[in-house]
Amino acid sequence: MWVVELFSSLPGLLAVLALFGLLGSQVRVHRAAKGDLRSLAALPRAHGINAVLSVLVPAAICFVGLSLVKLIGPRLNTAALPDYVVYWTVLTVAVLGCVVAILRSTVNFRARQASEVWIKSLLIAASVVAILTTVGIVLSMLFEAMHFFQQYAWQDFFFSTDWAPNFRGDSSLGFLPLLWGTFYVSFIALALAVPVGLFAAIYLSEYAGPWMRGIAKPLIEILAGIPTIVYGLFALVTVGPLLRDYFAQPLGLGGSASSVMTAGVVMGIMLIPFVSSLSDDAINAVPQTMRDGSYALGATRSETVRKVILPAALPGIMGAVLLAASRAIGETMIVVLGAGAAAQMSLNPFEAMTTITVKIVSQLTGDTDFASPETLVAFALGLTLFAFTLALNAVALLVVRKYREQYE
Amino acid sequence: MTSPTKSLFVQDERVKRRNAAEKRFHSYGLCAIGVAALALVVLLASVLANGASAFRQTYLMLEIPLPAETLDKGGDRDPAAMASVSTFGYAPLLRDALVASIAKLNIETTLSNKDVGDMISKEAAASLRNQVLANPDLVGGVIALDVLANGRIDGFFKGRVTMESAERDGNTSPEALRVAQLLADVGVLVTRFNWQFLTAPDASDQRPEAAGLGVAILGSLYMMLVVLVLALPIGVAAAIYLEEFAPKNRVSDLIEVNISNLAAVPSIVYGILGLAIFINFLGLRQSSPLVGGLVLTLMTLPTIIIATRAALKAVPPSIRDAALGLGATKMQSVFHHVLPLAAPGILTGTIIGLAQALGETAPLLLIGMVAFVRDYPAAYSETAGLFGEAATALPVQVFNWTQRADPGFVERASGAIITLLVFLAVMNTVAVLLRRRFERRW
Amino acid sequence: MMKVNTLIQPNPDMAVPKITARNVHVSYGDSVAIKDVSVGISANTVTAFIGPSGCGKSTFLRCLNRMNDTIETCRVSGEILIEGEDIYHRSVDPVQLRAKVGMVFQKPNPFPKSIFDNVAYGPKIHGLARNKADLDNIVENALRKAALWDEVKDRLNKTGTGLSGGQQQRLCIARAIATSPEVLLMDEPCSALDPIATAQIEELINDLRENYCVVIVTHSMQQAARISQKTAFFHLGSLVEYGDTDQVFTAPSDPRTESYITGRIG
Repeated sequence: MWVVELFSSLPGLLAVLALFGLLGSQVRVHRAAKGDLRSLAALPRAHGINAVLSVLVPAAICFVGLSLVKLIGPRLNTAALPDYVVYWTVLTVAVLGCVVAILRSTVNFRARQASEVWIKSLLIAASVVAILTTVGIVLSMLFEAMHFFQQYAWQDFFFSTDWAPNFRGDSSLGFLPLLWGTFYVSFIALALAVPVGLFAAIYLSEYAGPWMRGIAKPLIEILAGIPTIVYGLFALVTVGPLLRDYFAQPLGLGGSASSVMTAGVVMGIMLIPFVSSLSDDAINAVPQTMRDGSYALGATRSETVRKVILPAALPGIMGAVLLAASRAIGETMIVVLGAGAAAQMSLNPFEAMTTITVKIVSQLTGDTDFASPETLVAFALGLTLFAFTLALNAVALLVVRKYREQYE
Repeated sequence: MTSPTKSLFVQDERVKRRNAAEKRFHSYGLCAIGVAALALVVLLASVLANGASAFRQTYLMLEIPLPAETLDKGGDRDPAAMASVSTFGYAPLLRDALVASIAKLNIETTLSNKDVGDMISKEAAASLRNQVLANPDLVGGVIALDVLANGRIDGFFKGRVTMESAERDGNTSPEALRVAQLLADVGVLVTRFNWQFLTAPDASDQRPEAAGLGVAILGSLYMMLVVLVLALPIGVAAAIYLEEFAPKNRVSDLIEVNISNLAAVPSIVYGILGLAIFINFLGLRQSSPLVGGLVLTLMTLPTIIIATRAALKAVPPSIRDAALGLGATKMQSVFHHVLPLAAPGILTGTIIGLAQALGETAPLLLIGMVAFVRDYPAAYSETAGLFGEAATALPVQVFNWTQRADPGFVERASGAIITLLVFLAVMNTVAVLLRRRFERRW
Repeated sequence: MMKVNTLIQPNPDMAVPKITARNVHVSYGDSVAIKDVSVGISANTVTAFIGPSGCGKSTFLRCLNRMNDTIETCRVSGEILIEGEDIYHRSVDPVQLRAKVGMVFQKPNPFPKSIFDNVAYGPKIHGLARNKADLDNIVENALRKAALWDEVKDRLNKTGTGLSGGQQQRLCIARAIATSPEVLLMDEPCSALDPIATAQIEELINDLRENYCVVIVTHSMQQAARISQKTAFFHLGSLVEYGDTDQVFTAPSDPRTESYITGRIG
């Protein structure tokens, strides 16, 4: 019968135990109070809640822990943990929790504080997830990258200019062409996004009237909310052919629609709102008294912006540029669709070049064997990418903190 | 004072130059806004121009006789026996129906019967078969059906394919297009609104006309559910701990820096994390919405934590003090008083986080979603577990389609983007409206 | 294009006023801040604007160098003549005006630049220095006039924000007088300073009146009595009384003035 099945399954039993604890603890404390609820350190309901938490929280932690062990088992070539071990361990823990909670339900037991301890431990567990994520990111890439470097010399990886993976086993996996492509695309993107974004921010905070602000700000926010796959398609279908037909071919610079210029221009458009909103914050943080002082001395608005506001907001703006650079380096879809897969180092921006992120995708979604250096190189690339973006973010944070003017 | 007093009504050279510089500077700013606006307009226009036609599709309205001799040899409507007739058995039925239709309309043509059959999408035979198998009583009669026309015919009516390009095309010919035009003039061939685009599953490389977003939308939906169920509680709980309870020491400082870092990590790194840990180490299934949802959860977590912390910070300390002053514990003051007041901000942040997750592509590529998925994934199955069946997601489907050779897929990809943008627009509008309705200015 | 107005002489025994205001109305959006104010302010004098909070004295002060232009909702009507020229005339560029009429604010607001650059800012943008040596001279003169030179002459490269409150305010005064203005407007310059710094600034103001027409807004009647020669009392946006400081404080002609001075209102 499904009722029996439900109740003999783990969730069913835990629910029953929790209910038992809820009622049992309240009954016990009612009896101990001998009719006078005011003598209790905590209301019966608090005892009940504590009991429920005592059953469920340890059981949940136990279940998650043992499931992980079960999942990992086959990977580490140890015997798999049988299901019934998990079942009975969790059940035992839950029963213990129930019994202990009921026993503790005395007159002087501060049940409210006890249940808050459980809840706090859940909150802490949630915070730990954030740390675990970072640890996970670093570890996941570190181990596989180490496997890679065991099979391929790090000097060849970091200093070779030849990227040519193949199935024969004698691939050259040089990092430099990818680095070149990444930096070139990011450079073009920033060359577009920083002036446009900065001037847009200056205009909106210093010159624009309320109705202009009411139109332009949402417009820029819309640009910010567009997913990168849309920009990627835009690069592939519209910008690429346009640049090829009107610039690259007439100038004799190449015939490829996928190029550094294509990806760079589209990435620049994507970064405009990023630079603009961060610069806007930095500019608005400059107090109005600075502007008043400058105007009172007879400066025009542009002079005030150039000589007073921008120097004062410079740390924030530098931070914005660095963060935008970090975003540009880590961007994937725009370059996958816009820049092409040819790993080469050339000065011609209308040629197809590739970046670190494109190769991570291509090496991890190909058909090669997972343990081969051609696949493992993706982890080394990922680790390098992570290190770069981390460094840029750290420098951005430092610059803003160290040089920010203390106005008060 | 050394300089003689000048009249205020006379602008000297220097002031004129400074004012000219001022005007130039003003125009630079205006130009910058113009560039941003222009980029947005061109982007949306190009997406719309390429993709709007994906929502219309060309069909042939045919009457198809379903002879029992070929479809149900046993005569007893046995499902197993009928299922043994493959699409190869159904395709000729469609072809003959179209040939008959052309003859009935007295259209003279040099097309062979095979060429006429090629005007019909290869997908149509499969859908006819599915219909008959679902409804065996149709056998023996005649069914009136809207049959999908093939991709080139469809392209002709959308302007993609012309007589000139048909000359060079291996999949069609100018004669076929001429016949198609005649059929359209009579009303046998129509181009109409196409819901199938949103509901049908993906189709193979040669059949862009049949490709749809059904599987992708379902997959994205499952992933959003996973993200909502996991990221919201964990994110809010972590934010509450960090903002209200954590002692201000180096450890909590470290956690804060950690979280702002995670928010800035490139999304592809999360994909690597998902591949290495969820798929390789924990052995979860590749390409499943569960793994996709887990990866997106980790990506959305920092966003939700930061938004929740901001919402909690915005609640003035006087509220907390008032609750504590009445004898509430810290936790009671947080959960009974602060959290409800911060709820609108938390909700807005969550919706925005979900919208960002919906548009993510790179990490999903790395966990194996590049594959071609034809079957609608079930939410729960015995073999695969919860959200374990292979699926794809909207942005990944777009990427998939851009990698295909047939130019009909450009239209499909753009149409998918329109769908994605509509979803995002709805979500962001809801978030903004919520914020306006419930936000309190302290 | 030169335009000469007939100059108004409110008192025949007084010198021609430096600044003449006629029927000035100021409103922010719908609310009226200044109602029909007419006054003549003399050169080489310290004129104090006093009155309770919100009476419009700062607003009127800011009209004198068109700083109210920076506020979008502000509307000014009437005439304000400086040396006979209406500063609200269409062809007047506020940028040029403000080189002639300097301002010091309530809270010292030195730029986050070096002390030298702070003072040199005005002369540089107006092109008042022919070369580096000239600029050095201008900066030194301004700092001397502001009684700050001795204290900062060895650290002209240090940032202006590193000085004490009183020093910062003197820096702002030096910055304002570096453009050789004819009028110096001061909006409660001492209210953010301690008593010792206040005393130093008051002494400085007394010296400044030799060369400049000084208008100072103050909420302290004692300060007005100490340093000004003329006082204008504002109340609810109107100019209630204007005259010699001694006379306004000892024998005011308007009962509202008397109420304010004796502390009944304000």
